[in-house]
Amino acid sequence: MTITPASDIVGTKKSGRPVGLLLVAVPVLLVCWMVIWPIISAITRTVWLPNEGSGRSFSLDTYKFFFSDQYSLNNLNVTLWTTTVTALLLLLVCLPIALYLRFAKGRLAAYVQGLAIFPMFVPSIILSYAIIRVLGPNGTVDLLFNAVGLPHIRSPYLTPWGPVIGLVWDNIPLTVLILLSGLGNVSNQSIEAARDVGAGRLALLWHIILPRISNSILVAVSFTVLGIFSAFTLPYVLGPAAPEMMGPFMQRTFRDLNDPTNAITQAVIAFCFCLVFGLFYVRSVAKNRAP
Amino acid sequence: MKRRAFMLSVGGAAAGMVLLPRMAFAEAGRIDWYTSSDQNILDFWTNIVKPKFEAANPGVTLNLVDAGDAAGQTAIGERALAAMQTKTDPQADYFESADWRLPAGAADAGLYVNIKEAGLSNYSKINPLAFDGDFSVPYRGSQVLLAYDTTKLDPANAPKTFADLVTWIKANPGQFIYNRPDKGGSGGNFVRRAILEANGKDLGKFKIDNYTQEAGEAALNPAWDILKDLSGSLFDNGAYTSGNTQSIQLLGQSAVTMIPAWSDQAIQAINTGVLPETTGLVQLQDLALPGGFSRSVVLSNGVNKDAALKLADFILTEEVQSAVLSELGGFPGVAWDYVSQDLREKYKDVIPTTIPAFPGGDWEKAINDGWYRNVAPNVDRSA
Repeated sequence: MTITPASDIVGTKKSGRPVGLLLVAVPVLLVCWMVIWPIISAITRTVWLPNEGSGRSFSLDTYKFFFSDQYSLNNLNVTLWTTTVTALLLLLVCLPIALYLRFAKGRLAAYVQGLAIFPMFVPSIILSYAIIRVLGPNGTVDLLFNAVGLPHIRSPYLTPWGPVIGLVWDNIPLTVLILLSGLGNVSNQSIEAARDVGAGRLALLWHIILPRISNSILVAVSFTVLGIFSAFTLPYVLGPAAPEMMGPFMQRTFRDLNDPTNAITQAVIAFCFCLVFGLFYVRSVAKNRAP
Repeated sequence: MKRRAFMLSVGGAAAGMVLLPRMAFAEAGRIDWYTSSDQNILDFWTNIVKPKFEAANPGVTLNLVDAGDAAGQTAIGERALAAMQTKTDPQADYFESADWRLPAGAADAGLYVNIKEAGLSNYSKINPLAFDGDFSVPYRGSQVLLAYDTTKLDPANAPKTFADLVTWIKANPGQFIYNRPDKGGSGGNFVRRAILEANGKDLGKFKIDNYTQEAGEAALNPAWDILKDLSGSLFDNGAYTSGNTQSIQLLGQSAVTMIPAWSDQAIQAINTGVLPETTGLVQLQDLALPGGFSRSVVLSNGVNKDAALKLADFILTEEVQSAVLSELGGFPGVAWDYVSQDLREKYKDVIPTTIPAFPGGDWEKAINDGWYRNVAPNVDRSA
């Protein structure tokens, strides 16, 4: 009599499999078509270059040019610098906000949450012009400082700090939301238990909270790094003319210099850096799903 | 769901999608008009030209289409060229602002109407400075000039030559900024003016087809030296804005005293209060800052070619040309004698006597890339 239920299970599995596969087929096909195929095509186009004859042959010339050209390397460096500084600042700003929102109750916390999510609804082009108005030369901050007799500040506008400030502000909502969801894993009981045995605030943070949300921090960092690395509008409007971040640099190479091959080379290099953080993310997701 | 049902519905949906783009035909009496210009130009046509033209020509309507950018419009041009070869309907009659040299070979194939021979009644009114071949109708222009704050700089002392301008910039460090040459054109034409200065103000030296690497280096390197020399005296020790609007914003915030600006944008900014009433405009007298005209073309194989030619004639009337000046802040395409007297009086400071035009193509690429590699990084921002 034990055979009947077993065959039932096998039977449902058999008829369920094609439908399940079909359901994932659409996204998988989309990813292959819109993501995987462009990557393969881009890499092929940058290593399969026209040679002196009429044909094409394998060549790494565009990559050699990029890594021997000081101007391009400066652009890559400033992109890495901006990404690192922005990611660190984001964690410093967002972790306290997320901790506050996790443990605070009441009306004030709701307002803080609303304020933290607000940047999500502001398009970055509007944000850029607003930052010029507020932090730019003779902007609001400058005027307020002058009114109380403080000297002129050196405006971050058109320096590498301009995009950093804009990107931090722009990425606060996503980072706070991810950290907040991670903090949901920290149970009140474990915190109370730690308090009962006399753990201070810092010990609580270090030994109880941080180990539980390390995964969320990793996810938040990889998400923001991916976004910052490919940022365009904020570095374009607020950043200096040179060195440029990779986003504006690629666009300029492609469109102004009509040089798609070098633009794609820059894109492939940027992609390789992003891939590392993408792998971090995938690894942490896989780790979470493992039983 | 059964697999067969699933396959049927997927197949049906796919077949439906293939059939979805319905056939579209150009309508008689509806001019298919395309532009690659900014929103302000499209607004100008929607709010001013279209109602006026349709009122004057009953039965003809204008279908205003935004082609996005120059590349988008060239694609429509390529489609029209292909349609010409197959003798089909191009669904396009009129390009608001186009270079008749694009797409390559179009003019030779006869895609654009020869305007000179088309017998437009207003053709003789066109400003002789504005022509660029016989295939296009110049109808609005713009030029880069210097906009400055008259409360900080007495108009009597405003620089009148490039040498004066350089002296002024160095004497007033931090008070001048121009935007990157590839982003918006007001800075680009300031850079081009510096290039002309370094080459004996000789416009004839630069032609669309005479760029070579050696000629480029010989002509551009001295200009980079002039600009590098200036960079330390610019705003914030060598900052460059990333667009025309940002330069205007810095002038409006009184962060700088002088900027190069497009005449139409500066006039519009003053009219709308973005720049204060006390803003002065001045053009260099030894050789003006470059600029250019926008020229419309009419497609010879369009269904509404005759109506489109009427439109080309209509935009040269005093009514539209005065609106170009008063509503758009651009220069009229017609000679200034054909604009109303009070407008001529009001804008006498910006009426150009010469409009140097710099060729695009390979020169443009060399200038943009050369500037980014030579001028932009050469600053010690911490100083």
